[in-house]
Amino acid sequence: MGEILIGVALIALGAVIYLQSNDFPALNEVHLDAGSFPKLIAGLLILLSLLLIIKQGLALMKSQSTGERQGAGERVRDFYKEYKLVILTLLVFFVYIFLMQFIGFVVSTIVFIIFTGLLVGSRAKKDIMVITIVSVAVTLGTYFFFENFLNVRFPSGIFF
Amino acid sequence: MMDLFILGIAEIFQWRILLIILVGVIVGILAGLIPGFTVAMAIVLTLPLTFGMDPVSGVAAMVGVFVGGMSGGLITAALLGIPGTPSSIATTFDAYPMAQKGEPGKALSIGIWASFLSSIISFILLVSIAPQISKFALMMGPWEMFSLIVVSLTIIASVTGDSIIKGLIAGLFGILIATVGADPISGISRFSFDLQTLRAGIPFLVVLIGMFAISRLLVSLERKELDKDDAKRAEEKLKDVQFVLRPIHTMLIVLKKPWTLLGSSSIGAIIGAIPGAGGSIANIVAYDQAKKWSKNPEKFGTGCEEGVIASEAGNNSTVGGDLIPTVALGIPGSAVTAVLLSALMVHGITPGPLLIVNEPNIVGGIFFAFLVASFWMLITQFLGMRYFMKVTQVPVQVLVPVILVLCVIGTFVLNNRFTDLYILIVMGFIGYLFTKYNFSLAPAIIGVILGPIAEVNLRRAVMADPEWTLFLTRPISLTFLILAVLSIVFTAWQNYRTNYRLKKNIS
Repeated sequence: MGEILIGVALIALGAVIYLQSNDFPALNEVHLDAGSFPKLIAGLLILLSLLLIIKQGLALMKSQSTGERQGAGERVRDFYKEYKLVILTLLVFFVYIFLMQFIGFVVSTIVFIIFTGLLVGSRAKKDIMVITIVSVAVTLGTYFFFENFLNVRFPSGIFF
Repeated sequence: MMDLFILGIAEIFQWRILLIILVGVIVGILAGLIPGFTVAMAIVLTLPLTFGMDPVSGVAAMVGVFVGGMSGGLITAALLGIPGTPSSIATTFDAYPMAQKGEPGKALSIGIWASFLSSIISFILLVSIAPQISKFALMMGPWEMFSLIVVSLTIIASVTGDSIIKGLIAGLFGILIATVGADPISGISRFSFDLQTLRAGIPFLVVLIGMFAISRLLVSLERKELDKDDAKRAEEKLKDVQFVLRPIHTMLIVLKKPWTLLGSSSIGAIIGAIPGAGGSIANIVAYDQAKKWSKNPEKFGTGCEEGVIASEAGNNSTVGGDLIPTVALGIPGSAVTAVLLSALMVHGITPGPLLIVNEPNIVGGIFFAFLVASFWMLITQFLGMRYFMKVTQVPVQVLVPVILVLCVIGTFVLNNRFTDLYILIVMGFIGYLFTKYNFSLAPAIIGVILGPIAEVNLRRAVMADPEWTLFLTRPISLTFLILAVLSIVFTAWQNYRTNYRLKKNIS
């Protein structure tokens, strides 16, 4: 099922790229312009995605007649249990990147490491200690290394 | 040829660079050991650290990580029967039974020696073959270069993942990612959709970090992966194995099997040179072939010496093989060498057939960094084995957030552009979906790096002569295209045959 959705998404992507490729300003290139190569690739991508959808669709039809059905609620619950951490971590990661502009690299990173560590693993006292020490050490270590040796300016935010 | 050697030796044999390679090897071994941490991840995260170095030191560091990583999986494979990386799957077949029979030290040291000696063999193959190929490649025009890229991508698509359609889709997707931004010939801005972020293109490294590091971390956060990890750790604590390494004694054992060693190393080097195929395929093929040619194949799988030699020689010699097309043609054989090439590009060096002519010191440096890294690997494995084993205990809850932060830093350091971080998160998610549905990531990555080169060569070819049949009438170009078609047909046929057999077995 997932493959079919990916296939549909890729066809949409291919179509957008293909249509966009027509609007590039034409220079005096007679044979291939800026849009030709992307058009070729997008065309191939659409073709192969169609093949994939057909192939998966056939397989799906075959298996559906034999496979047992599960209640929708149960499936959602199983899905959530399996992927809970993946979804939450992605969310936290996004918030971390978003907030970094405002509160700065150092503060946001320390908070992010501790928060994600506790989200993923155990919350025993010893583990909280460990993750806190690790987060401060990693953050300050990389911050000073990159600022001093590679002259990278991290977002500083409102604190410092 | 000689000047390559002299320049290489002059570049590498300096205390600072030798030390850098040593650190790289240690990092690589640790990456190979820690479950959930892959060699590709380690290489990707090393890259930002090398921006401040000169190109030779940077590349040397990465070669060190590569060599170390290939041998790091040996330790868990031999002692616990769990391959630390996919490259050491076949090592578990014989090294683990040997360790179970009370000879863990022997299993480990035979593995180390096989890794080392096969690296040396593949080094010899690398330095003798790569310059010849690049000389040949210099005669190729844009037609041949385009066809070469087509064949590389189809081969990658057919050897990785579970179906050729998915492999090709991944490759095309990678090429499309690379078309965002300025057109390589006329500079027209493409597919930026009026987003400031996309106007400069999607940086290759951000795609790589997202797809290889972030997506891998997300996979390790799935409930069943976490449960598996817990089970492994529980098992690991039980096994405080005592062992003695006897370097000299085991070296003789390995040297007494010269044909297994030579054969497996050659197989590894050849497989390594094929784009997309790497250590994970080589160790199994080498093991299988060694078994076929052995005088007593029935001993394989019970802890025999030849089995350990074949597997470890097979995976370590892929490093030298992988470097052949990378150095000679500018076509990376794996994600790891793709990062190596992008490191050169960051320093303004264009990979391709001209690399050996234009930058002999860098090519020589890569050659000798590989040689030195093999020696360091031998020494650190024998001296540091006991300490390395302790590191497998890093818990997931520390590993995941710390590596995520390192990914953010690596992305940010690249261009000092904040918006790249959003691209990173999107690429990580796409990479995760790809792995979930068995689209392999290697074709996508190689597509990103080869896409622009393919486009430039295609357009140059047509500019030089609008006759498109030249792709089919120039003999070398035609050969490449035929190979591309064959690789697709052959894989499709093979899939069909295995499916057919499966059905037959069921009924």
